[in-house]
Amino acid sequence: MPQFDFANVFLPQLFWLSVLFAILYFGVVRLTLPKLGKVMEERENKVSGDIEKAEKAKLESDKLNEDYETGLTLARDEARKMLADTKSKAAASVEKKSANAQKKADEAIAAAQVEIEKARAAAMKEIEAVAADGASSIVERLTGKSPSKAVVSKATKSVFG
Amino acid sequence: MANPMEQFEIKDIAPIEYGQYDLSFTNSALWMALALVSVAIFLFIGTARPQLVPSRWQAAVEYLYDFVRKMLDDNVGPEGRKFAPLIFSLFIFVLACNMLGMIPWVGSFTPTSHVSVTLGLAVLVFVIVCVVGFWKHGLHFFSLFWPKDTFFLLAAFVALIEFLSFLSRPFTLAIRLFANMTAGHVLLKVFGTFVVSLGLFSDLPIVLGILPLTVTVALTGLEVLIAVVQAYVFALLASIYLNDAINLH
Repeated sequence: MPQFDFANVFLPQLFWLSVLFAILYFGVVRLTLPKLGKVMEERENKVSGDIEKAEKAKLESDKLNEDYETGLTLARDEARKMLADTKSKAAASVEKKSANAQKKADEAIAAAQVEIEKARAAAMKEIEAVAADGASSIVERLTGKSPSKAVVSKATKSVFG
Repeated sequence: MANPMEQFEIKDIAPIEYGQYDLSFTNSALWMALALVSVAIFLFIGTARPQLVPSRWQAAVEYLYDFVRKMLDDNVGPEGRKFAPLIFSLFIFVLACNMLGMIPWVGSFTPTSHVSVTLGLAVLVFVIVCVVGFWKHGLHFFSLFWPKDTFFLLAAFVALIEFLSFLSRPFTLAIRLFANMTAGHVLLKVFGTFVVSLGLFSDLPIVLGILPLTVTVALTGLEVLIAVVQAYVFALLASIYLNDAINLH
């Protein structure tokens, strides 16, 4: 195998390997990596910065959403309360009005009743007087003698009580 | 039949002598240089105009670099990132050498099929591991070999074995890569010669050559896979050895 002919192949290969590999290594360190490292770092920063920005925006939008939700709930509550208030007010006024009407009607009924009572009493008195007249004239016809007023009124009173 | 080992022959392109040392520019050096050039082109295009949203080339370079960085994060931890340029260079250099050797052309050469090259890279890793280990932990680095909570004699025995296995690391690292590359290329060469010799069978020309040709095509695919996997294994083992030096156990 030519590879093991060290006396002839070792030194020239090792020499050129050292030279060429040194060039490669320093080329990589001096030329490639600064450019590559810079752009890679820049990209990393940009990506992490973008992510940070996006996170911030998301936080903000979450907050806005929350605000909106609370606003909505508040408005809804208020509307509900207003509705309930209006309802109860309307109910109260209806009740009041109907109570007033009832009262008026009751008063009217009571007044009418008093009137009726009066009329009835007057009518009774008249009937009593007519009955007494009638009775005394009947008694006069039958007996020829008009009865005394006291007796007649006693008799009518006993009937009409 | 051509010798399947012939492809590993080192040929001088420009003989250079420095004193008594032979530093000739050979075909191996040429293909290492080609690997360097292709890597350089790849890296240059990839980072010519770095953009936040990467172009395809830039994405490819970034992907490879990220891959190495992630491997170091997984195997070494946060301190491993300092070694990302080294492991990245090793990975991409070995990968380029392996892949250029897969060009199906008689002149192509695989530097990583030479144990001199792989041993050079492995010794580099070994030396760096030792330097980092002693730099970080001083003589305490030797506790790497000592098993905890073990009976003294047994611990000493285990430590001896651990130490020997530690010393053998550059060789196993080098030989794994070199043997994989050499074996693959020998196999390809053997089946390649079968295509010719069977295809020339005069009573039934060409037909018999189809089977070894199919095998060669399939083997080429396998060898491409091995070229990538071995580059990865080399880089992975280098980072695991670095982990020993940085974190002990």
